[in-house]
Amino acid sequence: MVTAERVWAALATVTDPEYPLSIVDLGMVYDVHVAGADVTIDMTFTSIGCPAIDMILDDMRQAVTLVEDVRAVHVNVVWSPPWTKDRITPLGRRVLRLHGVVN
Amino acid sequence: MTAQASPNAAEQDLIDRINNGFMVECEEDMTPKYKNALITQLTVQGDTELLSAPAYYLATRDAPTINSRIAVTAIVHDELGHANIAYRILEDLGVDRQWLVYGRQPNEFKHPYGFDQPLENWAEMVVANGFFDRAGITLLSDVHQHTSFGPLKRALVKVDREEVLHLRHGESWMKRLAKAGGEAREALQRAVDWMFPMTIEWFGLPDDLKRHSGQLVYRLKGKTNDELRQTWMSATVPLCEGIGIAVPAHLDAATQAYVLDYPFPCQYDPEAKRWLFDQPLTWDQVFDRWKARGPMNERYIEMLQGRKDGLFGGRTW
Repeated sequence: MVTAERVWAALATVTDPEYPLSIVDLGMVYDVHVAGADVTIDMTFTSIGCPAIDMILDDMRQAVTLVEDVRAVHVNVVWSPPWTKDRITPLGRRVLRLHGVVN
Repeated sequence: MTAQASPNAAEQDLIDRINNGFMVECEEDMTPKYKNALITQLTVQGDTELLSAPAYYLATRDAPTINSRIAVTAIVHDELGHANIAYRILEDLGVDRQWLVYGRQPNEFKHPYGFDQPLENWAEMVVANGFFDRAGITLLSDVHQHTSFGPLKRALVKVDREEVLHLRHGESWMKRLAKAGGEAREALQRAVDWMFPMTIEWFGLPDDLKRHSGQLVYRLKGKTNDELRQTWMSATVPLCEGIGIAVPAHLDAATQAYVLDYPFPCQYDPEAKRWLFDQPLTWDQVFDRWKARGPMNERYIEMLQGRKDGLFGGRTW
């Protein structure tokens, strides 16, 4: 059976293309809805002009499609509420600091 | 070998220390010959990054979607940043950064001939990311791993991370165009046909003709030209074979080395964007072609420097 927990775990394997940090730790995933075998993900990007939008969407779809029993993945990109640095998790902050990104 | 052939004590002392793991941090640590070799290397590195920017910028207009246009525009931005990193280090070595960008004639820049060519459609743009940026990573990750110059080693961490993103952009689009079939696939094959030998040539003289290399003696890089060319092909040939795109090279089963299927080096017709495999050249003839520069050289430099009758009245910043 598909559960939201499994989808979250799959999303935690999707990293930012530049830094070894997951989109979950970056606070980009807002919500996961599971209806039977169909998954809908509400998420945002750190900026409207993010150059990695296509790459991250591809990686998300691929990761979630690999979750057992998942049939369809819908990614719903939203801009409200807007992403801010406050959404980065404490683990995410440590990883970024390690790579010289000040926050 | 140049340095070892005239072994003054300071020179040999520096080479010995470098071989024992010594990292050069500032000018006081260098001999004049080391400094010259480093300046040459950084100038080539910075100029290559700089000239990729106008080449890629013109091709951003061919992006098929808004997200892909944002992606390549961000790549242009990264490349300018990388150029600045090399020039900023050169400034610490006494080279004027203003002069580097604005004071030189178009034919005085030291970028490869590939960045004198126009990128005229989306297929050429993404093959540039897949091939040229792969060449950049191949060269720079070798420098990052082996360089004896500390400031450059540290600066390249950021550069390498960003180049990986460019490469991924290029390779994922190459796969996509190949899969799309039809005209997209044909355009991809046409781009690969001229850009594969262009990148092969980029790595320069083969090892058996290379007279000496200060860069290797001073450990400013680790691998020879032929080794770097092999590294590049070991990624690029399987990529193209995997998506059914033909390249003029193959893996030799006996030696496990990649072998070119055409006379190298050979003549290039920049107007037709075609390699003339029936016209082999000597390396001196290749150097003449490089020195004469390619069709976009002046235009690209003009885009970077501005022009007297242009928007900013020839102002240099």
